[in-house]
Amino acid sequence: MHRTTLPIRRLGPTTAVLAVVAAVFAATAGHGGEDITKPRLEHAIAPTFANLYVQRSTILGKTGVTVASIDAHAACDRGGPKVPDTGPGANWICMITFTDDAGQRQEGKFEVTANADATYVAGGPSKLVGLATITDTRGVDVTNPAFEFDGAFDPDS
Amino acid sequence: MTHAATGHDAATGHSVAAVATHTAGHHAQARRPGTLTVLRWEVAKLAAHARARYLLLGCLIVPPVIVAVFTGQQPPSDTIYGRHIHESGLADALLILAFAHQWLLPLLASLVAGDIFANEDGHGTWKTILTRSASRGQIFAAKTLTAAGFNLLALLVLAASTIAGSLLIVGTQPLPGLSGQLIPAGTALPLVAAAWATAIAPLLGFTALALLLSVLSRNPTAGVAAPVVLGFAMQLLSTLGGLDLARRLLLTTGFEAWHGLFTQQRFTGPIVQAGAVAAGWAVGCLLIGYLALRRRDVIGG
Repeated sequence: MHRTTLPIRRLGPTTAVLAVVAAVFAATAGHGGEDITKPRLEHAIAPTFANLYVQRSTILGKTGVTVASIDAHAACDRGGPKVPDTGPGANWICMITFTDDAGQRQEGKFEVTANADATYVAGGPSKLVGLATITDTRGVDVTNPAFEFDGAFDPDS
Repeated sequence: MTHAATGHDAATGHSVAAVATHTAGHHAQARRPGTLTVLRWEVAKLAAHARARYLLLGCLIVPPVIVAVFTGQQPPSDTIYGRHIHESGLADALLILAFAHQWLLPLLASLVAGDIFANEDGHGTWKTILTRSASRGQIFAAKTLTAAGFNLLALLVLAASTIAGSLLIVGTQPLPGLSGQLIPAGTALPLVAAAWATAIAPLLGFTALALLLSVLSRNPTAGVAAPVVLGFAMQLLSTLGGLDLARRLLLTTGFEAWHGLFTQQRFTGPIVQAGAVAAGWAVGCLLIGYLALRRRDVIGG
């Protein structure tokens, strides 16, 4: 009657399975290229910001602002010159240059957290994009879409 | 009366003798139950399980409650789509999907699968079911299919309840995409359903892992808890940088493959990879589990 024997005898196969899994994991770690890279982030964040800036302009009732007229470009860097510009982390900075709704060329510093799952969270400078909530044309306070935003990119692009 | 009883006995005796002759004859194989019969036993056993019923009921009731609670709260913007929960019900459905990945889906996968072999050890019933003339392969197949089918049903109920609840409570406004675009609700709804469907592959991978651990551990608690702990460990590993290819081989990575459905230029590479990775895990786990079950000595109990 040993229904609940301690699994000492069974540790054999379990250990073997875990060892194989760990070996495969160790052999593949660090190979195949980094998912989070500077070009991928730059190509994702600039058009995303442009889309959101158009939405913001529509909320504020400013006409004639399009993705093309904004002409956003991004230059991203992780953790200063000594840190390689790859990998997930909260220390990414993207400088985005764009034409604002007054027709002025602007450059804004966006703080970006890049996640290992190829998504990111970006926060814009309120001097250029406004506060977290903005007032629409009917006088209602709504969320400013360009203030803080999530995005994703293809890790195989 | 006496006459009738005697006649009945005689008839029974006759038929038993006939069956015995029949069995001893050339049709011995035909008396072995088909895998479908074994499957029916397993489904009946699971349907009688209170845990299985409560689990499905929970999948049905909990998501709308969570969405209703969210409506009065500050948006949980640390999870993807959290910041948009008041803007569109479709965002709520995606937030719950993203949240479910972290531990709910591995738990859902293992609650039945991690128990289904080990409960025979817990109740000491291996001898009973193995003497029912069904082969170990049939029992393994029936238990595997029952667990996988149940988990798919639970996912379906969870997804349907989440999506329907979110749309009813918050509404069908356009969904903010992951490239800053707005996706009209008509386009977004099938995408949200597809996003939930991408959880099928990793869920089945976790089901196979739980089945393996159920066979190896012979302990229902370990069979249920171990896959959840492994899921946590994989989740933790996947937040690290520098893993590269190894990250793609984790079962949990498949749970985030849906992100590509919501960017302006959709990408489905991660969904295909997740399917291949989950298939690899499933085949490996089921193969080892089957061999372990076939080789083991069933004594005592």
